Amino acid sequence: MRAERLPLTRLQSLALSLASFLLLAVATMALGPLITGGGWWWLCAFMAAGTLGTGAALRALRTPPSLIAPLELLAVVVLLTMAFGGSSAFAFVVPTGDTFEVFRGLAEAAQRTIEQQSVPAIPVPALLFALAVGTGLLAIVMDLIVQTFRLPALAAAPALVPIVIPGLLIEAGAELGTVVLTAAAYLLLLRVDVRVRRNAELHNPDVGDDAPTVVAPRRVPIGSTLAASLGLATAGLLAASVLTIATPSVSSSFLLGTAQGTLFARGVSPYVDLGRDLRRPDPVPAFNYLADEGDRPYFTLLTIDRFEGEVWGATERAVDGDNTIERMPRPDGLAADVAGSEHPISIRVEQVRTTWLPVPYPTTSIQGLDGSWFWDDGSLNVRTVDSSTFGQTYEVTRLALDPTPQQLRGAGAPPAALADSLALPDDLPDVIRTTTEQVTAGAASPYDAAVLIQQYLRGPDFTYSVDAPVSEGYDGGGYDVIAEFLEKRAGYCVHFASTMAVMAREVGIPSRISVGYTSGTPSDERIGGTVRVDVDSHDLHAWPELYFQGVGWVQFEPTPGRGTVPSYSRPGAGEESLSGIPLGPSSTPGANGRPEGDPDRNLAGQAGGAASAASEWMRNGTLALVVLLLVTAPALVRSAQRQLRLRRVRGGPRPAGAAWDELVASAVDLGIPADARGTPRALAALVSGRAAFASPDAAAALVDLRDAVERERYGPDTGGDLPPAVARAGTPPAPASPLIDALGRVRSALAADAPPAERARATFLPRSLLAGARGGVGRRAPRDA
Amino acid sequence: MPRARLLRVQAWPRLTRRGGTLLVVGVLLLVLSLWFDLRDILLLAFVGIAMPLAALAFVALQAPRVAVQRAFEPPVVPAGAWATVRLVVQNRSRRTFDGARWRDTVQAGLAAPAEAILPALGRWEGALPSGDDTVRLEYRLRTPRRGVYAVGPLRIGTADPFGLARIARVVGNAHDLVVTPRVTELDATVGSVASIDGSLHGLQRRTHPNSDELIAREYRYGDPLRRVNWAATARRGELMVREEEQRGDPEARLLVDTTLSGRAAQAQARREPGDPPDLRFELGIEIAASVGVHLLEHGFRLRCDPLHAPASIAGQLGAGEVYRSPGGEHAFLEDLARLETPGRGRAHRDRERDQAAELIAPRSREARMPGIAVLIDPDVVEAHALVALRPTLEPAIAFVTESVSPTVIELLEESDWRIVTVRRPNEIASAWTSAWRDARGGAAQRSGAGRAR
Repeated sequence: MRAERLPLTRLQSLALSLASFLLLAVATMALGPLITGGGWWWLCAFMAAGTLGTGAALRALRTPPSLIAPLELLAVVVLLTMAFGGSSAFAFVVPTGDTFEVFRGLAEAAQRTIEQQSVPAIPVPALLFALAVGTGLLAIVMDLIVQTFRLPALAAAPALVPIVIPGLLIEAGAELGTVVLTAAAYLLLLRVDVRVRRNAELHNPDVGDDAPTVVAPRRVPIGSTLAASLGLATAGLLAASVLTIATPSVSSSFLLGTAQGTLFARGVSPYVDLGRDLRRPDPVPAFNYLADEGDRPYFTLLTIDRFEGEVWGATERAVDGDNTIERMPRPDGLAADVAGSEHPISIRVEQVRTTWLPVPYPTTSIQGLDGSWFWDDGSLNVRTVDSSTFGQTYEVTRLALDPTPQQLRGAGAPPAALADSLALPDDLPDVIRTTTEQVTAGAASPYDAAVLIQQYLRGPDFTYSVDAPVSEGYDGGGYDVIAEFLEKRAGYCVHFASTMAVMAREVGIPSRISVGYTSGTPSDERIGGTVRVDVDSHDLHAWPELYFQGVGWVQFEPTPGRGTVPSYSRPGAGEESLSGIPLGPSSTPGANGRPEGDPDRNLAGQAGGAASAASEWMRNGTLALVVLLLVTAPALVRSAQRQLRLRRVRGGPRPAGAAWDELVASAVDLGIPADARGTPRALAALVSGRAAFASPDAAAALVDLRDAVERERYGPDTGGDLPPAVARAGTPPAPASPLIDALGRVRSALAADAPPAERARATFLPRSLLAGARGGVGRRAPRDA
Repeated sequence: MPRARLLRVQAWPRLTRRGGTLLVVGVLLLVLSLWFDLRDILLLAFVGIAMPLAALAFVALQAPRVAVQRAFEPPVVPAGAWATVRLVVQNRSRRTFDGARWRDTVQAGLAAPAEAILPALGRWEGALPSGDDTVRLEYRLRTPRRGVYAVGPLRIGTADPFGLARIARVVGNAHDLVVTPRVTELDATVGSVASIDGSLHGLQRRTHPNSDELIAREYRYGDPLRRVNWAATARRGELMVREEEQRGDPEARLLVDTTLSGRAAQAQARREPGDPPDLRFELGIEIAASVGVHLLEHGFRLRCDPLHAPASIAGQLGAGEVYRSPGGEHAFLEDLARLETPGRGRAHRDRERDQAAELIAPRSREARMPGIAVLIDPDVVEAHALVALRPTLEPAIAFVTESVSPTVIELLEESDWRIVTVRRPNEIASAWTSAWRDARGGAAQRSGAGRAR
């Protein structure tokens, strides 16, 4: 066969580049279902075009192939600078140190945003950055495969990457139309390659005496071959589409089913983790805030409104890109007649690293945050897609409501939209039902029932204990736990909050549970009439919020000894005009009152301790494996090369040549300045000068090898004139197994001669590979026969 | 005009490496996508499976019509030279013919160029041909050895537009390329008519029995009237006379050992087409060719006999084949080219042996002519036949290769055959020169002695 890599003309190279670009651009379209909007695709196309265009331009300038990939990498950096560097770059193009700082920030944010955003993601700058980098790298890989290695069929691998990703994250996977388009683009690349290859071969005829002369027709219309290509492609794609549609769904994703969303985490089950945190010692300062005297709100991190299954969590909701924090909405269900006042609070987060921002409910404005933050409908939880709370400083305007019991009592029926917040399972344990009936007997209104429930839970029968549920075996969430709790009557905030929420639903009041922090401990520091209040991880808390039409979501405090009982929820409220009586955390003894916690880890982390340990182990293992693979890659490549050569020695066309190549490579590996272009005799002389070849055995083996290769190179060509049968059966130039034997002896002699460091280097960093790579990926050595 | 024909399928359609890889990847993806229920990947998997299969069907169903003309330049090639093979491939289909590669099949022993791209051919232009449907291919073929080689048919491998599948088809027929033995230029000063005219008078005096073959020429002053050829005169309208005088049509006899019967211990019973040539036999053929061509070029009529019975010779070198001087060398060389290296079992030969002596035995005692024997490995019986033939030949030269047994050489020398040993082809010229010098000397001596007697 002919040498594979013939030099291409600029036009042919350009055609391949264009086809590659088309393939990559179409393939990135497959990410469409994952990301909202369409601007990101233009960025990807820009990156792909820039990278591949750079490659094409460099080839047009006849740059050495080995330089093209590094230069393309440079081009990616420049393009990224243009897109993201902004003012940090010199002349918008040349990256500076600041630019890389920006990149680093974006990369970190990208990692977070990938972990935090759910599908479809909002194309925040960090995500765009990740897409741009990914596209640029894919473009380099594709260019390398298509142009340098000239294996366009393998270009499917980089193109497959953006297609596979949607399948991992969403059930439907990439849109079939996009996939068909990608396949068509791939076929186009193959077609272009076939044409380019044929033309290259036609215009680079063999030289030599027996090379054929071909006088081609001057013009040939390619229209009809176009029809054949189109027809074949259409037939194949159509058949594939029909087969795909006709194939029934065999399994329902039983392996990846649980792994769905590993990349874009959705929802969090902090509910159980909260309890685990509360039992940990050592408070960690969470954040502090400056607020007016007496302004002590709870800070909500997230709201749990779905009471289903074992693990209760927030409704899975994608971040809505329109809900930016610049415009906070008015809370649900709040009528104008409810008394309220706005209080500014300035918060500085210390050690909390989550995606949920601690904000009081309700809040009318938030300012000063870094990153992209969005609020959720209803709960007004504020979360980020590319940043974290760590180290943030921001101003919040809190809307302090002071509904009167009359307003609450007079609340109408909840709207139908809140039906979800009333949902209870059919198999609700009887004890919950009966207890609720007993407690709320005689309540005149839902509000009175809620007050009675809170009073009941705060009553003397219930004790606060973070350890009792664990030792009794009913920790966590779920209805069975609540039933158990109602009998044992010992637990902590999670149990009280969920019990009250469930009982409220039983009565007919929409309810949800907020997880966050209580108001914390005031410090002595005062700044201009405001008090600095410190909140630490001991202030982690969960509390129920009940909905009353006209007032909205109203918080209650059923946990004895924790937090503040709102004035409107006290029995007999309305008669006295007292504001909330602080029953602050300081009033409870540390032994049982201060729940311990590590909010950093468990509110942010999606996995529990054991699971995270396992995943960490796995990650470390994978990392170790990758590192090991990287370290041994040269050795593996070299070993594979040796095996290939040995196979050629055993049954190839030029066995002695292969054996000699291997010998030269081994010598080069060991640092002997052997030049593969030299004659065998010169090389043998060079090698035999070494100490190990004083032994007659090794020297004889070397001479055998040398003679064999000389006979093969310069001797009569037994393969040409004679038919192959004779060449094989008659007088083979050199029998294979002695060659291998001799090669082994020479190699071991060479190795014995070298110092151990040199040997190790020969194994792990073989120089011969470097020499082969430096030789370039251009035209191969002249073909034989 | 060659007939347009559908190309014959030579082998089943096959997937290329690319197509095979795509198929394997497709199957792997199919398994994965079914396992994980990924519909998008499922589509790609089916593309990976369907495209190679569609390509297979495409190349199998696509039926290109192509006509091929093949010519050799020169038509007959001497061994060790180059022959140019010219091919004209014309598309006879209504569609453009693209995506093909060609390779000419040649018989073992010759090396055709590697597979190469066949340029795209436009649709067939029935009328007003502009040549866009035709491609001219030309390659040089080295012809190292004497023989008749089949060149063709043309193998055309077509692939689908995406390079996923291919099929090999053949078109046209095989043509024989005759590679004649190498001819060594021999010294013209020896072995010419003049040098051996002493042995030719008998022949010269002989009149030809068939007057029809006589050549008429115009009357010249002095021609006797009885020699006027009236029939020719009537045809030409001027006076013609019979040319009764024979040109000195000298004849020589060439005896070639084509059976190698001396090889008693020949292990190889039959020869296969691809076997390496028997170098001694080839040397013998080369000697015979050089001597024969030399003699023919110098006006001899060459009577060529195999040393053995004609039936035993597979080639067309028949017993007593006579080659005449102008142009005869081509026929002679071609016959030598077609001569196959013998290698038959002995049993076959014994039956023919009886006829041999009889056929070779002298038929007349007319004129003695120069006789040249090329011996490769004759047995004693054949040697005796040569001995018996000796009186009719003057001079009698035997070129022997090294494989001739000493017994045979002794026998021949005893009967006054001049023995010249040739070991290598490049000794032929010098052997010829020395052989004639000695033979002529010997003949002169003998004739001198005869006259003296």
